[in-house]
Amino acid sequence: MTDAAQETKKMALTEPSAAVVRIEQLSKSFDGRLVLNDVGLTVHHKEIVAIIGQSGGGKTTLLRCVNLLERPDRATMEVAGEVIFSGDKAVCRDLAKLRQSVGMVFQRFNLFPHLTAVENIMLAQLRAGVSEEEALDRAVRLLRRVGLAHRGVAYPEQLSGGEQQRVAIARALALKPSVLLFDEPTSSLDPESTGEVLRVMRELADDGMTMILVTHELPFARDVADRVVFVDAGRVVEEGTPAEVLGSPREARTKAFLASYAASH
Amino acid sequence: MFQVPWSDYAPALLDGLERTVAYTVASFAGAVVLGLVLALLRLSGRRILRLPAAAYTEIFKNIPLLAIIFVTYFGLASVGLKLGVFEAGCVSLIVFYAAYLSEIFRAAIAGVHSGQQEAAQALGLGWISTFVQVILPQAFRSALPGTNTMFVDLLKSTSLLVTISAAELMSEGRLITSATFRALEVYLVIAAIYFALCYPLSQGLLWLERQIRAGVPLSPKRRRRLRAARALLAEKGALA
Repeated sequence: MTDAAQETKKMALTEPSAAVVRIEQLSKSFDGRLVLNDVGLTVHHKEIVAIIGQSGGGKTTLLRCVNLLERPDRATMEVAGEVIFSGDKAVCRDLAKLRQSVGMVFQRFNLFPHLTAVENIMLAQLRAGVSEEEALDRAVRLLRRVGLAHRGVAYPEQLSGGEQQRVAIARALALKPSVLLFDEPTSSLDPESTGEVLRVMRELADDGMTMILVTHELPFARDVADRVVFVDAGRVVEEGTPAEVLGSPREARTKAFLASYAASH
Repeated sequence: MFQVPWSDYAPALLDGLERTVAYTVASFAGAVVLGLVLALLRLSGRRILRLPAAAYTEIFKNIPLLAIIFVTYFGLASVGLKLGVFEAGCVSLIVFYAAYLSEIFRAAIAGVHSGQQEAAQALGLGWISTFVQVILPQAFRSALPGTNTMFVDLLKSTSLLVTISAAELMSEGRLITSATFRALEVYLVIAAIYFALCYPLSQGLLWLERQIRAGVPLSPKRRRRLRAARALLAEKGALA
């Protein structure tokens, strides 16, 4: 790609209406069991999309398809302006580059336990060719951003769950991704740590980060998300603004899910 | 009690000691490499790779080291493959200890949580980087105690090479005994030399395990990086 074309692509991506993630007709099965059936999802620049639904409904699998941690059986997918999957084949030319443009935060943090917080944030940068000084500088800035500059040289086992998740967010941000994926980022946390992590995520939202989050935190989705997608039994059942989906759902299945959520909270 | 003129035999003992160290270092390095390859084969998704590696491990774990030494040195020579004493000694120790080390390495690698690999992949690390930078350092930590035990055990097992006159410590001891007929004195001294080698070694390795467990960075590069990080974090902290 020429410089001019790259610039045009960058500009197109920074326009509010540009799709950072476009997924069409995605199907995925595990051992013959269909977990995603003809699913579509489009996420625009600076948009925050919350995917909600029952456990086992396919939310996490959908999220993991975005950076090809799971390979769809069939789909057309475009991420950060590049077609990465078409038909039944990955057509992504540079998988490492795709994954660098998609940050991911896991439910169980998955920090590297043999490295300190600051090294966790530096590792991928160094592999991507960022210089030692720049990687360290960026890591320190990100630690400050998530409020953990004082814990920079601590190992993950020395950090609380909430602190580990904030380091994981900083690590996901280190390569300046176009979109950030969150897979139930607060499910393993106590209420206080959940508050810390949600605060960081809210700040990211305020800064205009494009995010897709699989979450059970419906109040947070209501406050922060631009769009809520309800996934059930491998299908997108309903999507719309938080007010539409969470406030006045159309589909019976959505209503039932929200009722059971309300009963258990 | 001590009647052997030890000062006369000191050069021979030093040679033997040197040879013992050479067998230990060369064999251990070879066994680690072969053990790692076997462990990776056993973790492979393909049966065609997994099964031969598993068969190898089971065979060599269940044969006495002495039998391996004899087969390698005398047996192979009888079919025309004549190995030198040093080569035969090292090959025997390598094939024997690789079987045990592969078990330790396999358990350590398999014990690294699958989320670690996913996190590395999600960060755009290729499979080599993922293995070298994420999986291996964690596996190394959990494999260290067992590996250290094997290292000291291998050192002691070099004494079995006396059976092929390998010129290591025990062989020197046997020569001194046949010249002086003071078996008790000679073998006590030889045993003491083994102890003087093995005890500090195992204590040193325990110390290394503790350092690693405590998160002390071992490489100068990491030490420099963390020093720079501390300085920068303090500086930014002061600004905040």
